[in-house]
Amino acid sequence: MKEVLVLGGGIAGIQAALDLAEQGVRVHLVERTPSLGGRMAQLDKTFPTNDCSTCILSPKMVDCARHPNIVLHTCSELQAVAGEAGAFQVRVLQHPRYVDEERCTGCGECALKCPRKVPDAFNLGLSQRRAIYLYFPQAVPLVMTIDPEQCTYLLRGKCGLCRQVCPAGAIDFEQKERELTLEVGAIIVATGYDFYDPTPLSQYGYRRYPNVLTALEFERLISASGPTGGHLRRPSDSRPARRIGFVQCTGSRHVRHNRYCSTVCCVHSTKEAVLAWEHDPETRSYIFYTDLRGSGKGFREYMDRAAREYQVTFVHGRVAQIVEEDDHNPVIKYEEAATSRPQRMTVDLAVLATSLVPARDAPRVAQILGIELDEFGFVRVDPFAPTDTSRPGVLACGCCLGPADIPQSVAQASAAAARAAEWVLG
Amino acid sequence: MRQAKDRAEETDESPRIGVFICHCGHNIAGYLDVPALVESARALPGVVWAGDHLFTCSDAGLAEIRAAIARHRLNRVVVASCTPRTHEPLFQAACEEAGLNRYLFELVNIRDQCSWVHMNDRELATAKARDLIRMGVARAALLEPLSEAELPVQPEAAIIGGGMAGMTAALSLARRGFAVTLIEREPELGGILRHLDRLYPTMVDARELVARRVAEVREQANIEVLTSATVQAVKGYIGNYELTVRSRQFGPEMELPVRAGVIIVATGAQEFKPFGLFGYGDDPRVLTQQELERLLAESNLPSPISNLVMIQCVGARDETHPYCGRICCLTAMKNAMRLKERDPHTEVYLLYRDIEVHGTHFEDYYAQARDLGVIFTRYTPDAPPQVADGRVLVYDELLGMRLSIPYDLLVLSTPPVPAAGARELARLLKVPVDEYGFFLEAHVKLRPLDFATDGIYLCGSAHWPAHLDEAISQALGAAARATTILSREQVRSSGAVARVEESLCRGCERCAQACEFGAIEFVELERAGVLYRPGPSLGQKIARVNPVLCKGCGACAVVCPTGALQASHFTSRQVTTMIQAAMGH
Amino acid sequence: MDNLPKIIAFACNWCSYAGADLAGVSRIQYPPSTRVIRVMCSGRVSPMFILEALRAGADGVLVTGCHPGDCHYISGNEKAVHNIELARSLLALLGIEPERLRLEWISAAEGARFAQVVKEFTEQIRQLGANELQAAGDRQP
Repeated sequence: MKEVLVLGGGIAGIQAALDLAEQGVRVHLVERTPSLGGRMAQLDKTFPTNDCSTCILSPKMVDCARHPNIVLHTCSELQAVAGEAGAFQVRVLQHPRYVDEERCTGCGECALKCPRKVPDAFNLGLSQRRAIYLYFPQAVPLVMTIDPEQCTYLLRGKCGLCRQVCPAGAIDFEQKERELTLEVGAIIVATGYDFYDPTPLSQYGYRRYPNVLTALEFERLISASGPTGGHLRRPSDSRPARRIGFVQCTGSRHVRHNRYCSTVCCVHSTKEAVLAWEHDPETRSYIFYTDLRGSGKGFREYMDRAAREYQVTFVHGRVAQIVEEDDHNPVIKYEEAATSRPQRMTVDLAVLATSLVPARDAPRVAQILGIELDEFGFVRVDPFAPTDTSRPGVLACGCCLGPADIPQSVAQASAAAARAAEWVLG
Repeated sequence: MRQAKDRAEETDESPRIGVFICHCGHNIAGYLDVPALVESARALPGVVWAGDHLFTCSDAGLAEIRAAIARHRLNRVVVASCTPRTHEPLFQAACEEAGLNRYLFELVNIRDQCSWVHMNDRELATAKARDLIRMGVARAALLEPLSEAELPVQPEAAIIGGGMAGMTAALSLARRGFAVTLIEREPELGGILRHLDRLYPTMVDARELVARRVAEVREQANIEVLTSATVQAVKGYIGNYELTVRSRQFGPEMELPVRAGVIIVATGAQEFKPFGLFGYGDDPRVLTQQELERLLAESNLPSPISNLVMIQCVGARDETHPYCGRICCLTAMKNAMRLKERDPHTEVYLLYRDIEVHGTHFEDYYAQARDLGVIFTRYTPDAPPQVADGRVLVYDELLGMRLSIPYDLLVLSTPPVPAAGARELARLLKVPVDEYGFFLEAHVKLRPLDFATDGIYLCGSAHWPAHLDEAISQALGAAARATTILSREQVRSSGAVARVEESLCRGCERCAQACEFGAIEFVELERAGVLYRPGPSLGQKIARVNPVLCKGCGACAVVCPTGALQASHFTSRQVTTMIQAAMGH
Repeated sequence: MDNLPKIIAFACNWCSYAGADLAGVSRIQYPPSTRVIRVMCSGRVSPMFILEALRAGADGVLVTGCHPGDCHYISGNEKAVHNIELARSLLALLGIEPERLRLEWISAAEGARFAQVVKEFTEQIRQLGANELQAAGDRQP
């Protein structure tokens, strides 16, 4: 049959879906969150050209939503897979939004009136949203969602203000979860990644010291559409952060945590430092590294330029510990490689470049799909057919295979589409 | 200044414009005086009907638009509501269903760019909305029905380069049932893998792997292989390319035409030969990694080797090639481990700046090399290694000591550089290369395998140094991109493309220079301009736009000195009429 | 002018027009001085459009597009720089203050920035006063 399931609506899933749809294949794009976009939607700018992430992602999201051959299933999760390559039966569970997708225009009147404020997961808890919310401003589909764990009406039958004020009559508290059975010829896994939570690495003080952040939290702060409108303000006192220390390999290349290299952190820390300088030329950034890696197209030149023109200093030295002094200023204690001597540097803000790890529901998804994961929990593929998983008819692409940059994810997505197309059209 | 004639004027039909103003619940109606807007719209020139709806984008709203088109014989539709970036296609589809060309529709943004951002001043916000609607109506009166050109697609592919990338793409397309011509410049298929020993990280035998792939290609009926073949000329455009290939595979040199709907570039890269550096070219003990591999593969190395030194980043991350070669650290480690396997007593020193191993599996590979006893020494660019009297002198940054290492063999790790002839091929294909000569893709992130010119794709080291699995991924990806075209019988263009009023064209070619997409070519005028003189004369070259390649950016229209080139749907008249309408005229 | 200038603003479909939309979605308020004309690319904005706008009586002209390197058509915004500079040099000849023309790069994610630019430019034009050009001479259609 000429249908394919794509699991994951980030850039890899979007690209694979579009490549297949353009060949006349019907694609079911299943996404767990209320919107397409994935991690790329949380980034401000993307290296090495520093172009705006949303600007390049949005047109592709809209293309997906409008494509006659693509069916979007947001707020949906994979439940079961049966059958074999060429003829899979797939069960997908669609969680209720409690908002009618056909009627909602995304106008946001409901959110303005909702009295329940909760931490905004898209902004990593750095800001708040309401119990009824739009996942992010450019969400596709542009439809509100009600969080059933926070909505007073769903929990206790009280309030319901959103329903009263909605001009389109789109609120539907009676909405139920739906199970869909799909028959597809191939499945593409594009479930992406999570970031390693550095809390167990107590030596870095994450969650103890307010001015120690992860790289993704930094990205949200520096995003024009983020919680501080793009102004880099220290969490402790909202003062501008002018001296920033980036700690590479947080959790990576470490026998006790993640043995592997996360590939993109050297370059993304460089990007973050460059963006900080663009916002405020008084900024001085220090990137503490073990090996400075960047061999993708334009990456090395980007890092060299950061050192030359953007007041970025690359310090060869592994960070042993972060402590705090007055004013919640983080102090980075590191071993200076050239002299083997311990050094310390006080900064306004410390940013931990944490490992990219498999998405948290990767084991469950792998089990349902019957595919093997490697020792790190990433999807195992044939090195000479690098999008083929261990199960025929199931392909994979993007960061579910391992840390990758955007061009790699996009190329892999097209590759997975080629292989999927061979199953359904060959 | 003469303007291109506006097609709407040529028809006898005068505009019959319908204006539909949306309340959008109370998103618009709560902040603007909608009834007043309807009133003023009714009075605008060309408007024969004006009304308002609660939600124009709803099924009910769309049905009313279709009904109004029929009832009032509307030939232009203006909806004043939200942003065209969301619902324009929806309304355009509604117009088409009612028999109206989709390009006769205009959406005026009075929500995202009016009611939502001027919530505290109803009067001024309404005045702005009034102006915006007047602008939309004025433009609508000048909108033309536009057709979308369709061109047939040859369901065949031409792949330039018969290495792993080219072969992988060929096999993928062939399995899909498309005919493929695989053009390889060497007498044999296989590319660089024919010259390598083992491949990281699996340590599989390179030549065995490539031989298997070549056998698969030879067995595949859909693939025609041309070896000892080079591309001499390329004509045509997406769906219809014609290449001229010169081949010696049948003995005497022949020129063969190859037709294809798409072209894939998979011409690979070559190893940089560092003549003059570290004695390379003079001292026979100094080799490149590939030369070392050749000796390893042929079991031709001197025996025993006491000390072998490898220097990374030779001719990389410097003024000659500022980039990192990506594959060189792994290649060096691979060869170092092979040497240790061959003879554990050989001391192998690897002098590096940064160890470029990334991803999940390569870090373990690096650990393996260390476990096997390869000695890694870090040097900094301000104190590079030096060679004198058969010794390498280097300051080890981590030990804090100067080392003096005698060598039996000195192996230089150099970066991949573009294949010979890449620039010439780029010129033939009319595609760009970057500052190093690697082919330049349409967009670094979102279109890494496409060229800006439609119908030509890119994969493997021709794009950028790639590991084998990356080259294979990219090749499959390029095949997928190619099949989005090959699987169709026709390619369609947008209607909003540039058009040439031939009678006004002087052939100055400024438009072609401004075009990023190669959409404008110059052809000889076959018939004299019939409308008036002076016009182009017979045999003179005038501009012709390929509507399938044109992206509608309008850059050509700006530079055209006579107004011969117009950007359909964004003509100069359409823009200036909006300017006048904005100012109340 | 009754204190609110009238500014013709050109915005490109892929970046700045989307940024302006985002300001709307975010409900960021700014003065109702602009009349936006959507173009596909800032490179479409011919110097003639700019002159036409000022001749028709606009108090200011704002041209917005994608940041360098982001242009959907690769280098259209670079062409825009050239066209705006050309227009600016012509303004001087016509006796129009060159500050009445402004070029800004605004991405699709910069809603707040769009609003800020409009606020600042509106204030700047207010200081300059009304565009006298239309009142001064005969207007040719």
